[in-house]
Amino acid sequence: MIYFVLQILVLVGLVMTSLAVILFKDLISAAISLGASSLILSLQFYLLRAPDVAIAEAAVGAALTTAIFIFAIKASQREEGYR
Amino acid sequence: MNWEMSKIVRTVTDIMVVPIIVYGIYLIVHGHLTPGGGFQGGAVIASSTALLIIAYGSFRDHKADLSSIESIGLTLFIILALLGLFLGATMFHNYSAGTGGLFGGTVPQGINPGYINTGGTVPLMNIMVGLEVAAALSLILLMMGKASDSVEVEA
Amino acid sequence: MRKLVAFLAIMIIFAFLVITAVELRGDDGGFGEPVNTEMDEYFLENSQSHNQVNNIVTAILFDYRGLDTLGEATVLFAAVSGVLTVLRKMKPVKRGGKR
Repeated sequence: MIYFVLQILVLVGLVMTSLAVILFKDLISAAISLGASSLILSLQFYLLRAPDVAIAEAAVGAALTTAIFIFAIKASQREEGYR
Repeated sequence: MNWEMSKIVRTVTDIMVVPIIVYGIYLIVHGHLTPGGGFQGGAVIASSTALLIIAYGSFRDHKADLSSIESIGLTLFIILALLGLFLGATMFHNYSAGTGGLFGGTVPQGINPGYINTGGTVPLMNIMVGLEVAAALSLILLMMGKASDSVEVEA
Repeated sequence: MRKLVAFLAIMIIFAFLVITAVELRGDDGGFGEPVNTEMDEYFLENSQSHNQVNNIVTAILFDYRGLDTLGEATVLFAAVSGVLTVLRKMKPVKRGGKR
């Protein structure tokens, strides 16, 4: 029962953070929402008993991809649809 | 590099970097016992590099060192694979499993007892892939950080 | 109108994929149960005696399917080569002069 409730919560959180990625106009907020989405996805992998994939997803998706996105945004415009 | 984050962020970074690197090394070295392995441990070590670059924003140019480590890791990985071809039967054959020596212990059939001196070539390949992945991802982060700093942004 | 048509098209394609995935495995076994399990059982029974490794995922990654791992490492190497090529230090182009 607790497993079922936890999985529902994780899936709802995954959908909400993914929607936040699309809806934010500020690109840094969108990149951090993408990192949160990756973290929740790694929790889902752990619940599905794939701890290998969960560690790789948490390290690559939540840390490295967010850092690379922030570097790329720093070298370009911060707002979406600026001109 | 011309940014530097606040003192709180830098202090937390100083405290957290060493446990992150130790956790990455644990993931690599215990790859044949617990979940984890070369790629996961290398990615965790590279995330500590990301933390350092974002918090401090200044670093020396380690491009040649990281490139050398990456090439050495990949070359030793391929050499280990070819040793399986020459000493054993096929490529990636585990020729040193159960023969004594380094990582050559035997494993009882059944539940995992956690003996670290087992596995033959598998722990060695984990270490090589871990070196390669950590150096490669750190190098990508370093080059991206340096490139983002040298671009002029129009306001 | 265009948005409605696009939404309907995406929903139809998604429903087609889901219904196909369920119907293909409808008769024998349920949805999500693999048909062929001989190889899984072979790995589970023999990887401890073949490789002396307790973590079977690692045994598959680095011994049985080692070429996949080699390809993954090569992809990473190619990505680093591409980044180093694109972001190399460029010398400024000299304009004017003789020519």
